Amino acid sequence: MKGTPRFVTTTVEVEGRTEERVVEVPAFPVEPWGPEAQLKHVGARARRADGLLKTMGRAPYVTDVRRPNQAYAAIVRSDVARGRVLSIDTAAARALPGVLDIITHADVPARTRLFLPEITYLGQPLAAICATTPAIAEAAAALICIETERLPHITTVSEAETSTALARPGHSHNLMGGGPKVVERGDVSAALAAAEVVITREVRTPCALHSALEPHAAVAEWEGDRVTVWESTQGIFRVRDNVAKAFGLSLAQVRVICEAMGGGFGAKNNAGAHTFIAVAFAKRLGHAVACVVDRPGEQIDTGNRPSTWQRVTIAATRDGQLTAIDLEATVPLGISGWEESPGDIYHELYACPNVRTSVRIAYVNTGAMAAFRAPGHAEGSVGLEMGMNALAQALAMDPLALRERNIATHDQRRGRPYTGNRLAECYAEGARRIGWAARATRAPSAPHRRRGFGVASQVWSTGGGPPAYATVRLNPDGTAEVLAGSQDLGTGTRTILAQVAAEALGHRLDAVRAVIGDTATGPYNGNSWGSMTVASLTPAVRMAAEDARRALLDAAAGILNVAVDRLATHEGRVAVRDDERSLAFGEVTAKLGNVMIQGHGSRGPNLDAAGIVTTGAQFAEVEVDTETGVVRVLRIVAVHDAGRIVNPTLAESQLEGGIIQGLGYACFEERPLDARMGRPLALGLHDYKIPTHADIPLIDGHFLDGADPQANTVGARGIAEPAIIPTAPAIAGAVADALGVEVPDLPLTPWRVLAALQRRSP
Amino acid sequence: MRLTLNGRPVDADPPGETTLLDFLRDHRGLTGTKRGCDRAECGTCTVLLDGEPVYSCRTLVHRCDGRTVETIEGLGTADAPHLLQEAFVAEDATQCGFCTPGQIMAAVAVLARDANPTDEQIIAGLSGNLCRCGTHPKIVRAVRRAAAAMRTASHG
Repeated sequence: MKGTPRFVTTTVEVEGRTEERVVEVPAFPVEPWGPEAQLKHVGARARRADGLLKTMGRAPYVTDVRRPNQAYAAIVRSDVARGRVLSIDTAAARALPGVLDIITHADVPARTRLFLPEITYLGQPLAAICATTPAIAEAAAALICIETERLPHITTVSEAETSTALARPGHSHNLMGGGPKVVERGDVSAALAAAEVVITREVRTPCALHSALEPHAAVAEWEGDRVTVWESTQGIFRVRDNVAKAFGLSLAQVRVICEAMGGGFGAKNNAGAHTFIAVAFAKRLGHAVACVVDRPGEQIDTGNRPSTWQRVTIAATRDGQLTAIDLEATVPLGISGWEESPGDIYHELYACPNVRTSVRIAYVNTGAMAAFRAPGHAEGSVGLEMGMNALAQALAMDPLALRERNIATHDQRRGRPYTGNRLAECYAEGARRIGWAARATRAPSAPHRRRGFGVASQVWSTGGGPPAYATVRLNPDGTAEVLAGSQDLGTGTRTILAQVAAEALGHRLDAVRAVIGDTATGPYNGNSWGSMTVASLTPAVRMAAEDARRALLDAAAGILNVAVDRLATHEGRVAVRDDERSLAFGEVTAKLGNVMIQGHGSRGPNLDAAGIVTTGAQFAEVEVDTETGVVRVLRIVAVHDAGRIVNPTLAESQLEGGIIQGLGYACFEERPLDARMGRPLALGLHDYKIPTHADIPLIDGHFLDGADPQANTVGARGIAEPAIIPTAPAIAGAVADALGVEVPDLPLTPWRVLAALQRRSP
Repeated sequence: MRLTLNGRPVDADPPGETTLLDFLRDHRGLTGTKRGCDRAECGTCTVLLDGEPVYSCRTLVHRCDGRTVETIEGLGTADAPHLLQEAFVAEDATQCGFCTPGQIMAAVAVLARDANPTDEQIIAGLSGNLCRCGTHPKIVRAVRRAAAAMRTASHG
């Protein structure tokens, strides 16, 4: 043991940001499963573990939690974008039968930052009501009278830069970092001056809303000085930490449970106002309180993908080799949020020695942003890929050939290799599947309709990383449980953890169950974000299972009186090599009684010397009606290289999901804003249109066979975010191809299409 | 008032403004029917009223007096799931699963109208049911699969 430190530091990429983290070095080495590994459960189309429960209506979502004497909270929100609370009159609401309690700023711990009297966006919570039923709480909310003083607000980047008004009280400027964030590699000005061909395009992308169908929701219940919170979340441990900090509790006083949740997509990464309201009321009232955000609240105050403006300039040699990429972009972030830059993908996706991005991110008086599936990359890829299409046109080059000419062979941001980048194969396979070479022969279905084809590519860091932990234990009857403090967003976490554990144990899949979603029972895991869960957690599960298997073999060796190295496990039996003797796992564990076989697994450090990315290409075929301007997406072909696919069925589901969200982003989704009042106008799912069954194209999603043993011991990388990145630009490229004119702003609604057609032929 | 809920008579006296959704979830504890928007936009609250799909969040429970209401809980059991439930599992037509009960109830109505529906009929019948995970292709496949299984079962 001497000389081997237990903890070391490693680099982890989360949503495009790099973090240094401490990592526990695994207690024993685990040989990675390479591409040649013969695996039975990993890679199989195992059925979703909680699929039947979901179809029965019996999956326990947070909005379905019912505790004894549970009461319901409603949130009262600001109807001005910037101002000050002068008074709050709660008398009428309090008099309503069934109202139990009302809280405002003075009633909650300062660290909750709830109900701040300084109003910085429309929709900011100012008070909350608790009643015996949700209907009474909502009715009472309408009876609260709040007197406010309005102050000037800002909603755009140009206002943020020129106005004397400040979006945030107590700050001296509106721009994040006080000015543009400029990142440059090489010498862009010199490269542009010397360029053979240069194009410039301006592109706008809309503000998009996550729109999970289960609203943000929390149920809180205190028992003495401890609180249990059921939260619809992507990170039970993060919610635990948020609640403990806000209420001045120790971590041991807070338990967070999320057994089933109805979608997150980046908007459910933290405790929210609803969480703290439920916790505060539950403490005051002494019984459980649920706080479910209503749909207008979801639309205004639970996060969004901010809009962007991007001006992209790309230079190339006449034969299509990129020599410079220059981006200027602005992002009206909302009242708070982190730096999600459309610039990052410009440095990464295509090989180019000279790249400069200058991004101005402004705080404005609208609801806070929240990470939304591939934050930054989904926006940036629209500008970059539309620029590439314009360049292809200027060069009279096939847009696919231009991309194939400029594949990034290494991690240009950090000057290191990739563990693998098979984008060239993705292009070739995708082109074959969509019939790229013969695309000109595809006739439209009517004379006033036009067919078009587009292609776009994707890169996203999907290496995951520590800390991630799992326990695998064998019960006396030989069945196994995987314990991990993770959560299943609908991605299939439960299912793949059982697959990996069954594989490493040599067990039957139906004898292994994953227990997740509870900070009190499972060891720590991070949020399910950044396409990180598979690559972070499955190696920990594998190690825990290998650890348990070692103990099982030790026990079996004693029973069978043979050396451990003569034993192997297969489908729930321990067998002696070159011998007919074998024991079922249950026969071994039964002999141990209640002595537990329990394996500990931790995720080892990342390989810092190489970048770990998922890459891919998507192709779109569209038909555009030139009379109505309606875009119909007919087909999407997607080919991605995500290393080993643990469960192809679940991976395809997620890939289709990303594509369909990308289609919505391209074609329909947009949160309009009344800038004069600072008021978001789409308060429901009719005004904010997401794709329906009638909008879905044929989707041909495909993953390259393979595994990435350098990435981690399972050889798998993430897919959630890679799936959405190329969809919108591929569709936009196809629409431009169909019309012979670009539609520079998303979404590609009929009036934008018709306006572009008019520009072409006035 | 009296209604038939999942095949059983139920006597109740809910307040006049009670929606069918609140009645099911909060009075009867039938939380399989979901409240996604509470404003007739998302379809997660879809149940069958006399066999026709309705948004239960916009249906007053008193309008159901003397009528028949079917929810996901009445469809099948874990030991004997409905063919649609089996098909949804087989095709992996759930991701987060929050829209699933509503999709399945809408699909029951589609298959009751036509035992051999075209894809267009399936899509039209389910278009009032949103899904944000993007499970649509597999949902349509599952309905097709269930239709085939039901035809086989009825001929068999």
